[in-house]
Amino acid sequence: MKIMNAGTFTAQREDHTVGNVIRMQLHRDRSVLFAGYKLPHPLEYKIIVKIQTTSQSSPMQAYNLALNDLDKELEHLKRAFEAEISHKQNEYY
Amino acid sequence: MDMSSSYQRVPSVRIREMKDDFLKFELRDTDASIANALRRIMIAEVPTLAIDLVEIEANSSVLNDEFIAHRLGLIPLKSEKAVNMLLSRDCNACDGDGRCDFCSVEFTLDVKCTTDQTLDVTSQDLRSSDLSVVPVDSLGQNTGSMGDAALEQRGILIVKLRRGQELKLRAIARKGIGKDHAKWSPAATVTFQYEPEIHLNETLLETLTLDQKREWVESSPTKVFDIDQVTQQVVVVDPEAYAYDEEVIKKADAMGKPGLVEIISREDSFIFTVESTGAIKAADMFLNAINILRQKLDGVRLSFDTQEADDQFGELGAHMRGGL
Repeated sequence: MKIMNAGTFTAQREDHTVGNVIRMQLHRDRSVLFAGYKLPHPLEYKIIVKIQTTSQSSPMQAYNLALNDLDKELEHLKRAFEAEISHKQNEYY
Repeated sequence: MDMSSSYQRVPSVRIREMKDDFLKFELRDTDASIANALRRIMIAEVPTLAIDLVEIEANSSVLNDEFIAHRLGLIPLKSEKAVNMLLSRDCNACDGDGRCDFCSVEFTLDVKCTTDQTLDVTSQDLRSSDLSVVPVDSLGQNTGSMGDAALEQRGILIVKLRRGQELKLRAIARKGIGKDHAKWSPAATVTFQYEPEIHLNETLLETLTLDQKREWVESSPTKVFDIDQVTQQVVVVDPEAYAYDEEVIKKADAMGKPGLVEIISREDSFIFTVESTGAIKAADMFLNAINILRQKLDGVRLSFDTQEADDQFGELGAHMRGGL
């Protein structure tokens, strides 16, 4: 049964580490109606991500947007952490 | 095409305690999935160096060859250069043989016991071909340590030899990740907890006698509350000691005062504790974990072909919806 604006993405050689992160980020998108991931079998190293969006967006757009936002967030986290480290080291010396 | 809005969060970090092998910090304004992903990556996917191939020339000790090889593999090696090295299967210089300078580090061990005393073969007897990659010193961090001079810098015990026994071997260390074998995991422990928010109901507390207050404070298995000596009031002394057991809540109910305390866990605030084996500094472990998570997310991006197909179908869908 074909549903409008719904897509299934398979990521090989990935597990909960990445799946959960993408899923939680997709939930924050208002145009995403449904987002979920699963490991079809624990012995097979892959995940399936299912996304359904409103007609305003498409599953691919939502997926790309989620990945871009996560990348920016991690970049920010890295810079914040590095700044905090140098701040701490300056305190010592 | 609507303007894609950004649902990005802006996380913040505050370091509480930082030593070479121990790091405690607060991570705020981010999701539990990111905190957990970083924890999983720190344990299983940050690469380090560990001995992977052992060629034994002579072994007359009481332990058999593979036993000693297994123990050698578990010795943590200082892996600062692991990030820049290639995995041995990806190395071009040696055709994946795994023995060249770009993807491996060679160690030798050559000891023979000649005295009547038992000889302890430790990780300090391992001679490395690259001086930046050496076994981690167990007590090397303590400067000016008190007491036993014998305890200082003894190294990790591999095997004990008697008079006449000898051990001679060549070992090759390679880069790997904890997922393949736990010897490559740089983490001793990595934990995070939700930061608890504790609200005491002052009016209900007023109705308790001092003895009841003391009884209630002591019902908690960890020291979260205390009675202030001066004001005789219950104060929160260490909110993070709260282990999310609900003993204090049950005690309050038992005493007939439900709602005496309200404890909620803040869903976006985490307290990380990172302990390293010494192979990589704890702070470097976290930074590597962030880089690896970014690489993984980059790896699951959609390819160009699928994007083009989507454009085609997107228009098709628009047609079905009744024209663009």
